[in-house]
Parts: sequence; C-alpha cells; structure tokens
Amino acid sequence: MTRPAGNPFATRQVRPGAVPFFFRDGESAAGLVERLRAAGWWGQLVGPHGTGKSTLLAALLPHLRAAGRDPLPVVRHQGERALPAVVRDNLGRAGRAGRRLLLVIDGYEQLSWWTAWRLRCLCRGGGHGLLVTAHAGVGLPELYRTCVSREAARRVVAHLTAGAAPTVTDAEVAERLAARAGNLREALFDLYDLHEQRRLHVSTAGVISPAQPPSFATPTT
Amino acid sequence: MRREDVTIELDRDPSDYLPDESLSGSWSFAAASDGEVRSAELSVLWYTEGKGDEDFGVQHFERLSAYEAGPVESGRPQRFSLRLPRAPLTYDGVLVKVCWCVRVRVFWDGGETVGEAPFRLGDVARAREVPT
Repeated sequence: MTRPAGNPFATRQVRPGAVPFFFRDGESAAGLVERLRAAGWWGQLVGPHGTGKSTLLAALLPHLRAAGRDPLPVVRHQGERALPAVVRDNLGRAGRAGRRLLLVIDGYEQLSWWTAWRLRCLCRGGGHGLLVTAHAGVGLPELYRTCVSREAARRVVAHLTAGAAPTVTDAEVAERLAARAGNLREALFDLYDLHEQRRLHVSTAGVISPAQPPSFATPTT
Repeated sequence: MRREDVTIELDRDPSDYLPDESLSGSWSFAAASDGEVRSAELSVLWYTEGKGDEDFGVQHFERLSAYEAGPVESGRPQRFSLRLPRAPLTYDGVLVKVCWCVRVRVFWDGGETVGEAPFRLGDVARAREVPT
C-alpha cells in the first residue's frame, strides 16, 4: 500500500470549500447573490453550529466575484473580538479609491459590540457591502437560515463517498445527525471514527463495509 | 482540462522509499482545450489527514511560468529528482495519518487542475486494533 487509506470524513474532505453546499429546493447561490444585491449588499446567514454557514459562504464567493463585488473574507474564531488592522486599512483605502468591497465575516458574533458598530459605520461610510454569518440574527437582512435535514446529510455523505463502496449506511448517518442535534460537522466526525474502527477490522486488502462491526448501537472499545 | 490530463510517473514501482533515498520521475499534462496554460507547479509534499487541524510541508518545488520562460509546453515530460528527508514518515494512524505525494498543479485561463501521485516514505506499520 503506497499511501494511508483515506478517510472520506477527514477534515480535508469536509472543510468549507471542499464539499459543496446543498441548497433547499428553490434556492441557489445565484438567487442568494441577487437577494444580497437587492438588499444593498448587506446580509446575514444564520444557523446553529455545524449546519453549513461557512460552507455556504465558500460556495457564494465565486458568485459574488462574478457579480462584480470584490469579497474580502475574514474568519473570527472564539475569543477573536477585534478585526485585523489590515481589514480596516483595506476598507479605508478602497473607499478612498472609489472601490466598493464586500466584507465577508464568518463568525460575526465573535466581534465586540464596539468593533461591530465601528465596522458597520466604516462599511456604510465607504459604500462597502457586509455579509456575515452568525448563530442568531444580528440585525442585517436575512438571506438564508441553515439547518441540516436527513436528506441533506445523506447527500453530503454520498458526495464524500462517491466512487467508493459505502462504509456507512443512511440509517447511521441519520442516527448520528439526530444524536448531534443537527450538527452535521460533529456527525461527520463521528462517521470518521466509525470508518476508522471498521477499517481496523479488515485486512489490508479487505473492503470496509457497513456489515462490519462496530456500530453506534454496539460500540467496541 | 480534467484531473486525468495530468500525468505523474515515479521511477519506482511500487513507490515505497526509505528516508534519504532519491525520488525521481516525470510529469506532463495534456493541452488545455479550453484555455492557454499560464503556469504549472510541481511539489513534493507531506500532509496530515484526520479529524483536527491539518498540517503540511513542502519538500521540493518547481514552477514553469509562461511569463518567465515562454509558453508552457504540454505533452513534453518534465523530469524531476530530489533527496527525500528523514521525516516525517508515512503513517496510517486512526486519529491522524501522514501522507506523502507528488502534486502537479496546472493553471490555465479557465481555472486550475491538480494531479497527485502518492508514495510511501519509511516503513512504519499501520495502526492496528489492540485486543482487550
């Protein structure tokens, strides 16, 4: 064997941008960009942890560029209350040059109220757009509310395991999604563990399949 | 241009190497029917795969650029050779895996196409279940 057997649920396979965002029926990236344009390029994507907000943002970026808005993506993790100075500098420089950017903040609620207030002033003053993700509404026009249905989770797993023999069943995917209260990211990490445990049960040349132990119902140690 | 249009051939089959050994081979790509190739990059790198944060390191890098050396020719195999390091060794673990590969990225007017050839560095046994 030349390389370690890949796990379809590893971070590099499931991170935003690596896996597509599956829209609900009647919704599309182009449609969201049009709604954002109609809202003056201000909007929010709202949803609980692990429901695809960052993945949706990654899916929107090329469509935003195609729509003629230059996105400036920023990610804020837990405890990151301020914006990098370079972001404010870029917004100010672009505004003075007459360029209109679209500031895209993933994790907007991490910002302090003071930073968020100054940011809105800076964007409004420079004519820049503002698109954010948050777990609850932050007072911007709502473009999309993310949640993961069983069918959406099944489609994501089918995409990740495409071209390979299935190693988990649809029922296991649904069970993990329910156990994680709709947090698909955590459910996928559970499936990573299940895939690895099943892999340990087969020989190097064997095939991993859902027929092999363990299962979530009867975990092994 | 599709992923299959990038060809990477290592001189050793199976492609298992020991630390400090020499790795050599060739790479090429088919002409992009939907745009001119602007540049192509060859990297020999390792990366981690698992549930947590990812890490990677580039051991070797070459770049062909239309801006620097004229049109990037398709079809003509390009040779490469390097001395492999002593670490990190390929590891097939449960929580984390360490993978090595030769990666070729071709940038053309319509986008980017990536091809990979995996290889193994070292002879560390894969993780196995410990009987309880």
